[in-house]
Amino acid sequence: MPPVVALDRISKAYENKIAVQDLSLQIDAGTMFGLVGPNGSGKTSSIRMMIGITMPDSGSVSMFGKPYARESLRRVGYLPEERGLYKKMKVMEQLVFMGELHGLNPAVAARRAHEWCERLQILEVAQKKTEELSKGMQQKIQFIATLLHDPELVVMDEPFSGLDPVNAALLQDTLIDLKKAGKAILFSTHRMDQVEKLCDAICLIHHGYAVLSGGLREVKSRYERDRVVINFEGDAAFLGHPAIESFKNYSGQAEIQLKPHADAQDLLRAAMERASIYRFELMEPSLEEIFIRTVGEKIDA
Amino acid sequence: MRSVWLVARREYLEQVRGKAFKVTTILIPVVFIGIMAAMILPSRYWGTSKHLVIAAQNPAFAARLRNELVADKDAKMTVDILAPAAPGDRATLHSELDAKQIDGFVWIEAPADGKELVTYVSRSAGDFTTEDRLNTAVNRALVEQRVVNHGIAASDIPALTANVDIKTMLYREGVEKPSSALITLFFGYGMAFLLTFTVVMYGMNVGRSVIQEKTSRIFEVMLSTVKASDMLAGKLIGIGAVGLTQIAIWIALGAVLLTTALAENWMTGTAKPQVSIVEVVLLCVYFVLGYALYSTFFAGLAATCDTEQELQQYAPLAAVPVWLSFGMITFIMSNPNSIWSILISMFPPCSPITMAFRFTAQFPPAWQIALSLALMVISIYIVLWLSSRIYRVGILMYGKRATLPEMVRWLRYN
Repeated sequence: MPPVVALDRISKAYENKIAVQDLSLQIDAGTMFGLVGPNGSGKTSSIRMMIGITMPDSGSVSMFGKPYARESLRRVGYLPEERGLYKKMKVMEQLVFMGELHGLNPAVAARRAHEWCERLQILEVAQKKTEELSKGMQQKIQFIATLLHDPELVVMDEPFSGLDPVNAALLQDTLIDLKKAGKAILFSTHRMDQVEKLCDAICLIHHGYAVLSGGLREVKSRYERDRVVINFEGDAAFLGHPAIESFKNYSGQAEIQLKPHADAQDLLRAAMERASIYRFELMEPSLEEIFIRTVGEKIDA
Repeated sequence: MRSVWLVARREYLEQVRGKAFKVTTILIPVVFIGIMAAMILPSRYWGTSKHLVIAAQNPAFAARLRNELVADKDAKMTVDILAPAAPGDRATLHSELDAKQIDGFVWIEAPADGKELVTYVSRSAGDFTTEDRLNTAVNRALVEQRVVNHGIAASDIPALTANVDIKTMLYREGVEKPSSALITLFFGYGMAFLLTFTVVMYGMNVGRSVIQEKTSRIFEVMLSTVKASDMLAGKLIGIGAVGLTQIAIWIALGAVLLTTALAENWMTGTAKPQVSIVEVVLLCVYFVLGYALYSTFFAGLAATCDTEQELQQYAPLAAVPVWLSFGMITFIMSNPNSIWSILISMFPPCSPITMAFRFTAQFPPAWQIALSLALMVISIYIVLWLSSRIYRVGILMYGKRATLPEMVRWLRYN
C-alpha cells in the first residue's frame, strides 16, 4: 500500500530566509506522525506545502499514491495553527457549511455534526452563535469541522496549544481512536512530551532541515541507553566503577552517566556485591535530550 | 463552482439576516428624503421677513419699488420709505442698522445725467436671495417709472409689464412631456445618491468582510478546501447580490408609492420625472459594474491590512471620485453634452454616478454609453487581476499593513 502522503525533497525560501530545505517524509495509514521542532523551524511552512496552500520551490508532494492534486484535499482534514470560525454563524450552520465545502450533502453534514457534538459534549451549544462561546468550545468546533467529512489524512498544526488539560486529553483520545480506525494523522508541536506519548513516527526539524526522522522506537534505538538510576542502601563504593563517566549521589539515589559503550550489566553486578539494590533502571534518552544532542552537534559542526 | 456558490450563499445569508442590512434599507431612503427636504424647505424661507428701508429722493419711485417688493408674498418683507432722503439721512440709517432695527436699506440716487445709482447696504453678506429679489424689483420699478415718464397712462402699466412663465417640456421618443428642471435635478440627484451609496457602501463592505475573515483567522481553514480565487469570487457575488436585493426593495417600494392614489394626488399638475425601462436596466448595469470595480479594489487593499481601522485609512480613495462626481452635478445637468460632462462620465470610478445624472438630463448617445461600459469592464479586469494576486498572498500575512513595495513583490509571486 502506498503511503497516504509523501514529501520528496521539498524546499521553500522566502525573500532572504530558507523556510524548508530538502524535506522528505512519508506517513502511512494507521499511524500518528509527529512533526517536531522549535517555533520558526519550518513546521507550518512544510504543512502548507503538503496541502497545497503554498507551492514548494522544488521537490514534489504525492497524496494517496498520486501526485498532488486539489481534488485529493476532499480526503484531507486540516486544522491550521492560526484558526478561526465565522463569529456570526450558529455552530450547527457553521459545521454544515464546512461539511458542504468538503463535498458532503447538507443532510449528511448535519447528522455527522450532531454526532460529533454529542461525542465532544458540546451539543447544548449547537444552536448558539460562535461568538458567544468560550475559547475551548470554539477549539472543539474547529476540531469537529476538520473531521466532519471523515478524512483519511488528518493534519493538525499545534492542535493542543491553548487547550485546558481536560479538553487536551479528550482531543488526544479522539486522535488515538482515529488512528485505530486506520487514519493517517500528522500533527506538529514544539512539545516533545506529547510526541513521545502519542506518535509512532517522527520528524525533527530545525532551521528548515530534517535533523532526525523515522519510527519513534527506531530513532530512539539509535541512541544508547547510557543513563542509569540506582536506588540502593549500603556501601556506595561501586560508584567508582570504570563504566561510570559521572554521577550524582542523592543519599540513596544515584543518577549516573555511563561512558560510551560501557557495560551497564557489569555495573549492576558490582553494585549488588556491595549494596542492596531496590531499583536499577537503564534509561533511554528522552526525545528532548536527543533533540538537544542532535542540534547541538549540528551547531558545533 | 460549487465552492464559489457555497461561499456566496453564506455571505449573502449572513448579510441579509444581519442588522446592518435592515437598518440601511430603511435608513438610506429616510436620510435621502431628509437631505432633499433640508435642501428644498429652507430655500423657501431664505431671505424672508427682512425689514428694509427704501431711501430715495423721488417718493413716487420709492412707492413703486415698495409695491414690487411687497408683492412677493413668499418674501414677507417689511418695507419702510424714507423720501425724499437727504445725504445726512445715511448716518441715521447706519445707526438703525447698528441697533438692529432694520436688516438693510436701499439707497437710490438720481443724478442729473438720468442714470440712477442704487446701493443696497445690509448687515449680512451673501444673502443672494434678497439681492436677487431687490434686483428684479428695482429694475421693474425703474422700467415702470421710465414708461410713465414717457407719457403712458399709469393704468396701462400692469398690462405692459406683465410676466410670462416659461413652460418646459421634455422631448423624448417623439413625444413632448411636461418637465421641470428642478424636479429633473432632484431626480438625477436621487438616482446618483442611491447608486453612490450602494456602490461605495457595498464595495467597502467587501473590504470589511475580507478583514473580518483575516482577523478571525478563518482563511487558512477555508484555503485547505477552497481556492483563494473562488473565495474572492464567492464573496463578490454574495455581497453584490445583497446590494441588488436592497435596490430591488427600494425600486419596489418606490413603484408602489408612485402608483398609489396618494402619489397621483401629489403629482397632478406637476411634472413627473421621466424614467424608461432602458434606464432602469442601465442603472442596474452601472450598479453591478461600479460595485465590481470598487469591491475588487477594496478586497485587494483589505488583504494588505490587519485591522478595519487600517482599511478605513484608504476610504478617501473611494470618496474622491464621489466628491468629483457630485461637484459636477449642476454642470452636467445644464451642459449634458459638454466635453467635460462626457469625459467625466467616461472615467470609470465616476461613470456610474455621472451617467445617472446624464440619463435624467438628456439621454446620452449609445456610443458614449457603450464606451463608458467598455472602459469600466477593462478597468475591472485590470483591478481584478491586481487585487486577486495581492489577495492571495495578503490573506496569509499577519502582523502589519503591507507597504507598496511589498505589494509589488506579491504581484510577482506564483
